[in-house]
Amino acid sequence: MSKKQVIIGAQFPGVNNFTVWSDPAAGSQIAFSSFRHFAETVERGKLDFIFLAEGLRVREQKGRFHELDVVGRPNTLAILTALAAVTRNVGLIGTLTTTFNEPYPLARQLATLDVLSNGRAGWNVVTSPGAFTGANFRRGDHLPFAERYERAKEFIEASRTIWKGNDFAFKSKHFDIAGRSDLPPSPQGGPVIAQAGDSETGRELAASHADVIYSRHGTLEDGQAFYRDVKARLSRYGRAADDLKILPGAAFVLGDSQEDAEERQRAIRLQQVSPKNAIVFLEQVWNRDLSSYDPDGPLPEIDPEVSSPALAQGRASRIDDRLETARAWREIAEREKLSIRQLIIKVTARQHFIGTPEAVARQINQYVQENAADGFVFAPHLTPTGFDDFVDKVIPYLQEWGVYRKNYQTQTLRGNLGLAVH
Amino acid sequence: MTFGANFQLGIDLGLPSQNLLVQDSKPDSLLQRLDEGFDLITLEDGFALPTGDGLDAILFANWLGARTSHAGILAGAPINFLEPFHVSTAIATLDYVTEGRAGLLAQPLEGGRAAAARRATGKLNGYPEDNRRALERDFDEAIDVIRRLWDSWEDGAVIRDPESQRFIDGAKLRYVDFQGANFNILGPSITPRPPQGQPVIAAVAEPENSASLASAIDLAFLRASDSELSSLVKDIKSRHPGLRLFANVGFGAGRAGKDTIPQWTADVEVAITAARALASAGLDGIRFLPHEPEQDLAPLVEHVLPAIRNAGLVQASQGSTLRERLSLPAATNRYVVAAA
Repeated sequence: MSKKQVIIGAQFPGVNNFTVWSDPAAGSQIAFSSFRHFAETVERGKLDFIFLAEGLRVREQKGRFHELDVVGRPNTLAILTALAAVTRNVGLIGTLTTTFNEPYPLARQLATLDVLSNGRAGWNVVTSPGAFTGANFRRGDHLPFAERYERAKEFIEASRTIWKGNDFAFKSKHFDIAGRSDLPPSPQGGPVIAQAGDSETGRELAASHADVIYSRHGTLEDGQAFYRDVKARLSRYGRAADDLKILPGAAFVLGDSQEDAEERQRAIRLQQVSPKNAIVFLEQVWNRDLSSYDPDGPLPEIDPEVSSPALAQGRASRIDDRLETARAWREIAEREKLSIRQLIIKVTARQHFIGTPEAVARQINQYVQENAADGFVFAPHLTPTGFDDFVDKVIPYLQEWGVYRKNYQTQTLRGNLGLAVH
Repeated sequence: MTFGANFQLGIDLGLPSQNLLVQDSKPDSLLQRLDEGFDLITLEDGFALPTGDGLDAILFANWLGARTSHAGILAGAPINFLEPFHVSTAIATLDYVTEGRAGLLAQPLEGGRAAAARRATGKLNGYPEDNRRALERDFDEAIDVIRRLWDSWEDGAVIRDPESQRFIDGAKLRYVDFQGANFNILGPSITPRPPQGQPVIAAVAEPENSASLASAIDLAFLRASDSELSSLVKDIKSRHPGLRLFANVGFGAGRAGKDTIPQWTADVEVAITAARALASAGLDGIRFLPHEPEQDLAPLVEHVLPAIRNAGLVQASQGSTLRERLSLPAATNRYVVAAA
């Protein structure tokens, strides 16, 4: 029996605290030359797709613009379409909200990207926080929080109706639209749908509507449990286990030896969590101004503020139970004798593959062959050269073991992912 | 001296030309010759057209932007039916992709087209009512907020300062806090100020609506007949002296009957004479609208364009950005000027 093929997506390192800007090798996060270098490298490595995150409002902390991390990004669909013009095979997946878009304009844009890329478009479907992001859009905070997944589901169905072409009409609780779409049929039958989110609702939406689920899972065992859970849901919708690919987000650090890689990892984490950034992270849990605290000193003795609204706005993850998180963090800090900065470095770490190129390749392959994932979406820490070493040193091992393509076999994103064209 | 120092040539490659360009990827291709031959390319958008909508023009512009190196590219967008925030970031992105050749062709939709657009998007809060006055006001407001978002980052807002551990200087980002009739937009943009500062904004003007021409645009394409053009130019220039004016000119064989705009064929002598007349009427350029791109683009690029250039009607382009080509002043940032 042939081995399961690994899927690898490449997230452009842009607006988040994992992108290191203080390194001398860090380049522009906005110049087209950066995106072009990234795309060309990824395609040289025969990777499956490029992935872009979304942010529709500049993040804030304590009522001011958050200054410490990379900020400033292009329009997602515009830059992906420009990249379609300078690449041939790599997929192009953009994260786009169903909250502050409407089905006809967005579905038409996705179809445009799909046509211009010859069938390489993908859409990571997300919902957005209402009031904060809504301040930048005509409709404002128009959607009750509880209805955001309902609208997302109807939005996908409306989009698929539009993608069928010719006269379309779609009526549901959230939409009542009609018109005509005459784009030529996509070589892959329509954009790939990805869904991000680990919640019960998110898993069910992925099982019913998505081709890819973008998740975050740490250990092999956690990954296997998630994998079993999500794949088991598919049969209820008449779908096969292979119809949905599970791709956790992850990071890698390469070195000449295990020790070298771990040393690099420590240095990168120090760059990612600057002293001021450590305080900002702590403030997100404590929900208080902690700027007078020493990042290299102990955690605050006062408790988090739980009655007032969050200080941090515009971040993807929320920390819901502040008191419980503070208790757990204090326990870790006391047990391991960590300063504020050391603690934040520990608790905000992502899933990392750290080691020599061969060791990293072996770990990736193990997760895939042992069904903890179908592959990964990797976000390197440097723009735009963060994938260079991975492509030159890790991919060749996967190719040698027969679990990664040596050349693109198809022209479409569905083809890259091993999904059926429909 | 009958010609402006900077008479320019543009072309629309909207809906009818799309297939031709998408399928064309050879070196020394048609696209390359169009890029070299024209100062600017417009892409009119077919949003919700009942006869078929075609590609989204803003995205098509970004695709063309990555495959060209010379011509300015103005993407059409029916801004009454789109989110100004998305339009602003997408045109800013086009400006990054083209390193300063981007523009927006703001398209007002009226009558049946506006009704079709509303059916396609649904009737939504935050969007204009279905009457001319509401649409015009929303059109002006959308242009205003698109421009404000471009100014919402000062040049140099990205500081990458290890000393203070700051990537940006937050004092150089601003809320635009726009409050209009239908919508409020807070800002700032998520995209840093584009290379041109303010990409070029264009719109089509007709004799009947020239009075309501948005004052915030840089360039107008005049949809008027030969006999109307001269007085229309005088009229608009007296009110908006800084506005650049191009004549819309239909191009191709087999067009008969009464036309609202001048119609040219591949007859080179006639074209030169007509171009001289337009230049002496005070126009800054021509925008060609090919009837049947499959047949018309080749004679236009191979015969008419070189003839007009060889007749001394057109000088070599100055500058690399679209603003420079059009001799528009360097864009100032309203928020910086206000603070100074």
